[in-house]
Amino acid sequence: MHKKLKKSIEYFLLILLACIFIFPMLWMVVSSMKPEAEIYLDMGGIQSLLPSLDVSQWFLTYKELFSRFNVPQYVINSIIYAVTITVGSIMVNAMAGFAFAKFEFRGKKLLFGLLLVLLIVPVETIIITQFTVAHTLGILNTRLAVVLPMIGNMFFIYLFRNFFRAVPDEIIESVKLDGANNWIVFWKVILPMSKPAVATVGTLSFIASWNDYLWPLMVLTDTDKFPLQVAITNINTTQPVYTNQVMAILTISTIPLIIVYIFAQKYILQGLGGSGTGIK
Amino acid sequence: MNTNKRENVAAYSFLAPALILLGTFLVIPALMAIYYAFTDYYLLTPDQRQFIGLQNFMEIFKDPIFIQSLKNIVLFVVFVIPIQVGAALGLALLINKPRKGNIFFKVAYFSPVVLSLVVISVLWLYLLNPSEGLINSLLANIGMEAQPFLSSPKQAMITIVFVSAWQGAGYQMLIFLAGLQNIPSTVYEAGKIDGVNKWQNFFHITLPLLKPTSVLIMITTLISAFKLIIQPMVMTQGGPMNSTMTPVYYIYQSGFSDRMIGYASAMTVIFGIIIGIITLLQSRLTKEDDM
Repeated sequence: MHKKLKKSIEYFLLILLACIFIFPMLWMVVSSMKPEAEIYLDMGGIQSLLPSLDVSQWFLTYKELFSRFNVPQYVINSIIYAVTITVGSIMVNAMAGFAFAKFEFRGKKLLFGLLLVLLIVPVETIIITQFTVAHTLGILNTRLAVVLPMIGNMFFIYLFRNFFRAVPDEIIESVKLDGANNWIVFWKVILPMSKPAVATVGTLSFIASWNDYLWPLMVLTDTDKFPLQVAITNINTTQPVYTNQVMAILTISTIPLIIVYIFAQKYILQGLGGSGTGIK
Repeated sequence: MNTNKRENVAAYSFLAPALILLGTFLVIPALMAIYYAFTDYYLLTPDQRQFIGLQNFMEIFKDPIFIQSLKNIVLFVVFVIPIQVGAALGLALLINKPRKGNIFFKVAYFSPVVLSLVVISVLWLYLLNPSEGLINSLLANIGMEAQPFLSSPKQAMITIVFVSAWQGAGYQMLIFLAGLQNIPSTVYEAGKIDGVNKWQNFFHITLPLLKPTSVLIMITTLISAFKLIIQPMVMTQGGPMNSTMTPVYYIYQSGFSDRMIGYASAMTVIFGIIIGIITLLQSRLTKEDDM
């Protein structure tokens, strides 16, 4: 009896906690699936966590939202930025990691030391001078300005370098004896043998770029170039503001992330800060 | 000699894209910030830029908003670390026991991590609306009076603490869980033979063995907490009465909204040094723990 009681209390606690973590997201989704007036009519009751009882209402909010704002454009923008940054980030940082892992060259120690120092620079605090650089380059209000600063990443270079060092030199030598140059070695040997590192960097940079807000907000002025995160605050401040439409754009912007988290869950934990605990 | 040169060329051709990008968007901006910190650079009149020595720095330490932002961020850090890391550890311990439905609970606790900072900020802005938000309606259901939350200078920062902890705890729960599962069961079995009870088990076996994980989590939380900007920017615009103004947000406002590049750069230098020192301490601490 005592044991059963303890177990019930435990489950009660677990469920209570689950409610605390889930209800905001649940309210977000169901509020996007009912008319504006119903949201405030239901507030506080059990019905506030259920979609409209009238099924024909469910996607009406989305229709209204799409008629006021060019949502497909925002989705496409976000996808363009995230995919470009992800692919660019894998390529550029893997190439640099390859150089550090498998080449002896002049200035290697100095450059690598510099790289480790750069890990300490808090990127968020230099946004102002990053902006003046983008201004000087004349790329403000272009898609290029959103993408370029997000590609080079010291932590990813470090992660790739550590991973590539584990590829045996004998394999590289034997491929080279068959007449392959460094590029072919990189493409056909190094990258295919390092799928976990590629997947980790890909997952982390996709999530980071999808969620990026401050930088695109600063460099973009044309609304038709906005990614979803910037579009959200734009929609949330464009009168008249409807709660159900805001919840709809929040829901839309979250769906791709849910998919990424489901399919790439085993790579998420590898990104634990820039603390050098990555793959050894 | 020839092969050496060829190796140099090959290496640098692989390094070039990363070096160009990092140089342009990281090294040059960092150096520019240091240089501009000693000038009165105003974005709209770049030609009248003058070297003014330490004047910016002297003004900053007399700037009540900057001082306030430092106090605010310390308050945020002091509360968010124990709450978020404590919640993460508690959840991990709860989940670590094998039982039916565990997967569901794990997914539930992790789910806020999937939301972006902008999404959680906007969402909670609605949930916490003082007059018609869900939270105050729920409080009314159990007979509590409505709270001002984000519209009160006293409650605003604490509210942001809880929203941030709610979002981040699930991720750290997974890291703690990995740490817990790395503890070999033989350690506990040995404890059992020695007749230790549950509390001794936790305080003398689990907690010490989790120390490297905990230190790592606390310091990475500390560093990212210091750079808080999105939540106050979206939820409160730094108000009410600057009670949620943070250093990075103030740098953004001075440099971007007010276009005072010189002044913002000086703040960047000061705040960058603070975060740099913490990061260095982190690598020291975690290294010692690895050994």
